[in-house]
Amino acid sequence: MASSKGKSPVWRGMKGSIPLFIPAIPFAFVFGVVVAESGIPGLLGWSSAPIIFGGAAQITLLTLLGEGASVAAAVTAALIVGARHLLYSVTMAPRFQSQPRWFRWVGAYMLIDQVFALVSIEELDDPDEFRHFYLSAGLTFWSLWMSFTALGIAIGPVIPEGWQLAFAAPVLFISILAVSVDRWQKAAVALVAMIAMAALADLPNRLGILVAAVLAMFVGILLERFRR
Amino acid sequence: MTVFIAIVLAGLGTYAMRALFLVALSNKTFPPLALRLLGYVAPAVMGALVVSMLIDSTGHLSLGAPELAGLGCAAFVAARTRNHIYALVVAMAVFWSLRWIM
Repeated sequence: MASSKGKSPVWRGMKGSIPLFIPAIPFAFVFGVVVAESGIPGLLGWSSAPIIFGGAAQITLLTLLGEGASVAAAVTAALIVGARHLLYSVTMAPRFQSQPRWFRWVGAYMLIDQVFALVSIEELDDPDEFRHFYLSAGLTFWSLWMSFTALGIAIGPVIPEGWQLAFAAPVLFISILAVSVDRWQKAAVALVAMIAMAALADLPNRLGILVAAVLAMFVGILLERFRR
Repeated sequence: MTVFIAIVLAGLGTYAMRALFLVALSNKTFPPLALRLLGYVAPAVMGALVVSMLIDSTGHLSLGAPELAGLGCAAFVAARTRNHIYALVVAMAVFWSLRWIM
């Protein structure tokens, strides 16, 4: 982007974050509804925003806890939902090799989907420029996420239950899924997982999630044979 | 208290996944096959979670025409537009209409 050349990386990081935050807003509100329906106190539910700082993992964890899943099952599911962060970490590692120690620790906390996406498309050759841009984008997202999740928690209990807004949670997850599917094998794996989960609905503590996911991953490995 | 413990554990785990290669293993990489198999983790778990979110605490699954149509529309719109807000609006509209009719 030639037009943004010469502008300070702090300013570019802030400016780039705002449009990318808009798709996160429904997650903040769905998160508020999920916390309200789970019966977990608002402040306790909100504490997951600074502690986890990941919308999909937060929604997964609190939905499952609200439905009576065990701590082990809910945490495991939330971590598997967040497993893509390992991929971000691998991909981003070379650019952190020339960075100071403190920034590696702080930057890891801010390695969310949007920061990863922004840093991947921006031209940031100089390590200082990279660090300033990354911190600026990360702090902007952090402040917005803390504010909007608080707003979601405040609004959540006021929304009438008859609106069935909790249905927005699976809707958001299936739309993330649809965007991330880049080959037919992944669509097949998702479909197997859905059918298996429906068949295993009775299993206690949401054990079905793990069984269905593992089964679907095996199907994925088998389908790898059809790749050229 | 158990809720707070779960939040802290999920937070620590999420941080560990983000920090692993930035802090500890910045010059290591995954073999390509491992990365390709890791690519199936997300669709498998997300698929299972979508359905699990329609199960109530007694193990009853509500997956009738409104839910199926809503989820189908969300997947279609999201794949086409890559925009979660469009997908959410269309899916909720379809879901509410079908529930109102039926």
